[in-house]
Amino acid sequence: MDIFAEIEIILTELLDLEEKEITPDTYLIQDLGAESIDLLELAVAINSRFRVPVKDDDIFLTRFRQYMAEAEEQGTGAVPYIAEKYPFLAKDRIGEIVSRMTEGGPQLKIKDLVNYVMFQSRGV
Amino acid sequence: MKETFPGSRVLILGGSCEIALTLVLYLIEASLLPILTYRNERGLRSIREALMPFAGRYETHHLNFGDRASLDTLFRSIDDDLDFLIDFVQEDYESFIASADEERICRFFADNVSFRAEILKRAGRAMLKKRRGRLIYISSSAAERPNPGQGFYAAAKLASEALYRNMGLEMGERGITTAILRPGYVDAGRGAIFMRKHGRVLLEMIPVKRAITQEEIAQTILFLLSDSAIGINATAIVLDGGLTAGK
Repeated sequence: MDIFAEIEIILTELLDLEEKEITPDTYLIQDLGAESIDLLELAVAINSRFRVPVKDDDIFLTRFRQYMAEAEEQGTGAVPYIAEKYPFLAKDRIGEIVSRMTEGGPQLKIKDLVNYVMFQSRGV
Repeated sequence: MKETFPGSRVLILGGSCEIALTLVLYLIEASLLPILTYRNERGLRSIREALMPFAGRYETHHLNFGDRASLDTLFRSIDDDLDFLIDFVQEDYESFIASADEERICRFFADNVSFRAEILKRAGRAMLKKRRGRLIYISSSAAERPNPGQGFYAAAKLASEALYRNMGLEMGERGITTAILRPGYVDAGRGAIFMRKHGRVLLEMIPVKRAITQEEIAQTILFLLSDSAIGINATAIVLDGGLTAGK
């Protein structure tokens, strides 16, 4: 199953995106304008489509900043600390998000959703 | 006017209580499908006895408040398919705050508030698939005007009201709405026991000089489920004969 293609279909329908091109590097919130209620609906749709458990806090990286702060408090590196919390993200991707966090704005990309679904599918 | 309804499957939490069983008669008459939850075998027996003539026109499922496994089983059993949810469940814990048992305090709020939030999460996500749903919480006038000893009951009711209110705020744009009903003294359940104990004096306090009947509550809930009432969202309606309006 092409997870990206399926997620693209879901997003096109949920966010009414007929005209917009979606790539794995598209930002869900900054580029597509998804709001909180859209994210909730997306989580439900992903759970329903792929039959995998979805934790909203994980798939949408809700606690990313909090984990960065915890890593700093504990004097440990942010990347290995966050890799334990979000095992579906590659370390270079975590490093990329960490480096961009200071720019502000949510960093969640479509490829993060794809990786979450792939990771969860392995456990089902 | 004959009411119409935006769906048919009505999940009723606390389905063995007297008011729920009265409501079921109205739901069946309106061609809706009541899905009643019960906590134990005694509850299931009460439902079956009260609804004997209506076998096949309702469903029953086990749900124990505080037990997440029973919640999972319930939603699996109904295939996440519900149009309405009516929540009658409320454990009573009557105690002065200063004499309450610490363990019991924690368990009471875990079961009656936190677990309710989990139910709302499950129901909200299930309804989101249809982009349609209506949730009614049966609160109590004691939420605002508790008697001594009702502090925990009132606190749980107010907290639960807040959860339902926010569901309506958060999901109204996706067709999922909520309403809270606050009955006053009712001629059923705990209300009937309380009124027997305090008699006429109590009724004198109510402007209409009588208790609210189970039928009145059931009919009001039926209205709240109807298409006519969809605009009533994220708010509480008081059904107490005017009890809490004055001093």
